Amino acid sequence: MKRRAEHEAGYVLHTYPYKETSLIVEAFTRRFGRVAMLARGARRPRSAMRGVLLSFHPLRLSWSAPAELGNLISAEWSGGLRPLAGRGLMCGFYVNELVLRLLPRDDPHEVLFDSYGETLSRLAGDGPFASVLRGFEKRLLAELGYAPLLDRDAASGAPIDPEARYVYEPDRGPMPVRNSHSNDLLVSGRTLLDVAADDYARPETRDEARTLLRALIGERLHGQVLHTRTVLKELNDL
Amino acid sequence: MAKDSLPASKGLERLVEALRVLPGVGPRSAQRMAYHLLQHDRAGADQLAQALAGALSTVRRCARCHNFTEEEVCALCRSPRRDASLLCVVETPADLAVVEQTLSYSGMYFVLMGRLSPLDGVGARDIGLDRLLARATDGEVQEVILATNFTNEGEATAHYIAEMLRARDIKVSRIARGVPLGGELEYVDAGTISQALLDRRNI
Ligand SMILES: [Zn+2]
Repeated sequence: MKRRAEHEAGYVLHTYPYKETSLIVEAFTRRFGRVAMLARGARRPRSAMRGVLLSFHPLRLSWSAPAELGNLISAEWSGGLRPLAGRGLMCGFYVNELVLRLLPRDDPHEVLFDSYGETLSRLAGDGPFASVLRGFEKRLLAELGYAPLLDRDAASGAPIDPEARYVYEPDRGPMPVRNSHSNDLLVSGRTLLDVAADDYARPETRDEARTLLRALIGERLHGQVLHTRTVLKELNDL
Repeated sequence: MAKDSLPASKGLERLVEALRVLPGVGPRSAQRMAYHLLQHDRAGADQLAQALAGALSTVRRCARCHNFTEEEVCALCRSPRRDASLLCVVETPADLAVVEQTLSYSGMYFVLMGRLSPLDGVGARDIGLDRLLARATDGEVQEVILATNFTNEGEATAHYIAEMLRARDIKVSRIARGVPLGGELEYVDAGTISQALLDRRNI
């Protein structure tokens, strides 16, 4: 497949050094999805791309793609977003890792792309960021075809009772609690309805939603460990 | 690389393989280097071998600043002329050298030998934050100056060090950023100008 993309809206997800002076750039673009490109000479001291190929900034990218690894031709700053800092920056790394690990290459996801941009602009704000992260995780799962069932009992199809508790089976959805096991994912009906409505005002909802979405994301990671989580945990232990 | 161009001797093969540990050196340049050393510069090769073996056995990390040294504590850390109340945190020995070149800093250093890189799994322990904490709280240090890079990773590193030290009532500052000295706005990249606007100050 031969193609050339010009001035496409995109973000850098991560870069890896390649040979002495180049970079492999993992980018998330609006119209082409996640793409990998080679930025030749981008690590030279006077490279025009040096200060531009940074994560969390909207860019305009041009590249040619003779094979699976494209050649980055230009990257232009397209501005309009405050830089992430502090905790918001750490959350940004986590969001990027989710996209890198879960989104297949060369598969456009425009809705997710827009939601990603929205997520970054909220992470550039003051927080709290729990609702921002849960919202993005939910959208990502939905875009991958694994939208969590939140408003109905997966066994009977009955509406979720806010006063009841459920066992959440990752590949089915919420089930009534019967003889529960210690490793069951227990979640209250209220939390399920809150998550469905993107309402994270209740502290209990925030706690349960974090555990729930973490388990659902975990299903899709097939045993891969998220580096950002490990690093963050270690920092919090200092 | 074609099969028939592979080195013919075992020793040569091992040398080519060994040279590939250098950053940016692929099989082709490793082979070129190996031929050069053996064919044209055997004295240089001997020097290289001895320097490498010598450095490996004598060069280690300074117990106080983590920079490379041949002693337990390096000359800079032992110097009575340095201001022991200031501790400047840099990512690499090269960064330390650049700050030294300014001749406008006379405090001490701590070299992280890296930066936090959450996506690569590089965390607090890998850059010795526990030892930095011990160094910064030894009672001598009054202010820690964060001179990590202005990349996302450098910023994250600065943020966590600042949080860690503020929680222990140590004064922390971050080097300023913006338009370079002598820089004409017209020729400065948009990201730098955008940041300079955000970081503007009253005059
Ligand atoms: Zn030292």
